[in-house]
Amino acid sequence: MIKLNKHSIYISRVASSLIALFVMIGNIDAAQPKKIAIQKRDSIPLMNGFAVSFDVVGAAMMQMGNSGQYEGGLRLNMRNKYFPTVELGYGKADKTDITTNSHYTTKAPYVRIGMDFNLLKDKRSSNHFFLGFRYAFTSYKDNVSQPEFKDPVWGYNVDYSCLNNKCYYHWVEAVVGIDAKIYGPLHLGWSLRYRKRIAYDEGILGKSWYVPGFGKSNNSSLGGTFNITFDI
Amino acid sequence: MRKIIPFILLACLLCSCSSIDCPLENTVYTVYGLYKSTGEVDTLKDTLTISTTRMNGTDSILINKDVKVTTLSVPISYTQDADILYFQLKGNSSTTIDTVRVEKKNIPHFESVDCSASYFHNITNVSCTHHAIDSIVINNPNVTYDKTKQTFHLYFKSSK
Repeated sequence: MIKLNKHSIYISRVASSLIALFVMIGNIDAAQPKKIAIQKRDSIPLMNGFAVSFDVVGAAMMQMGNSGQYEGGLRLNMRNKYFPTVELGYGKADKTDITTNSHYTTKAPYVRIGMDFNLLKDKRSSNHFFLGFRYAFTSYKDNVSQPEFKDPVWGYNVDYSCLNNKCYYHWVEAVVGIDAKIYGPLHLGWSLRYRKRIAYDEGILGKSWYVPGFGKSNNSSLGGTFNITFDI
Repeated sequence: MRKIIPFILLACLLCSCSSIDCPLENTVYTVYGLYKSTGEVDTLKDTLTISTTRMNGTDSILINKDVKVTTLSVPISYTQDADILYFQLKGNSSTTIDTVRVEKKNIPHFESVDCSASYFHNITNVSCTHHAIDSIVINNPNVTYDKTKQTFHLYFKSSK
């Protein structure tokens, strides 16, 4: 008969206790239900409505100056995050220079399509701060004329005019702006736009003075809008 | 809101800025390059005066007694279908006059409402008498503000 050492008995008792403890802990862990982090699905619908807008700046320019545009837009709201937009406008210019008496006229529609992205973290807010882009196009005819003058060398009378000169412009825009809810469906907002010409033809005259929707003819331009918007 | 007002004002200022880029001269010129029959650049040795007849019948001198030049810049009418030019070459012993006829199409050109009216031209034909001039050839038919491109190559019969 083997007599067990007192120390051995003690060690074995401690070891068996520890083993039992670990097993017990494991069983408790297995018995409790696992807490799975489940993210709540965003409740903002994908198609979250439409909005129509009207630009005040272009209309004011048309009334107070010699060029401007009437412009409206249709904007789709997707989860208050993405806003596909179509803008239609009618630009017009009628300018006579007091020094040269040169008279320039043009009028034509233009179209822009693009997307705005709401950068605010709180997508449930009715206000928006957005960045966006547009692709735009217009086809127009311009007219230039000057009063009759004399050829400086030969002395003949020169009748300077060019009518219905066909032109077109393609350009892209980078847009930044805000849109704030005022009351009910009414929003007010403004945007700043950097426009970059990408393709154009200014006809036989060689240059336009005003391009509907783009502004003064150039490689690029800076512009802005102040919009009155109604949610539908 | 107060913080963005300066930004808005700056944007409005940028939008309102405009510049006038009118060319210094709104008259275009035809450029005649003088060449020898070998193709080398020629230098005018005799005195050359180029004139034309104005609408009222009087003469108008376009180039007065040019000598020792290799190119000539001659004005062109705004809207006439053809210009008649008289090249008077005065040497030590003789004076010859050749008539040069330049036929063209006239294209109105526009820079801005702030700039005076101008025309560009497309030369369709050139012909001349041959007392002192051997031939005139169209080098570049488009006459614009660009004076670096020679419109005609002019060959005199002997090195004049």
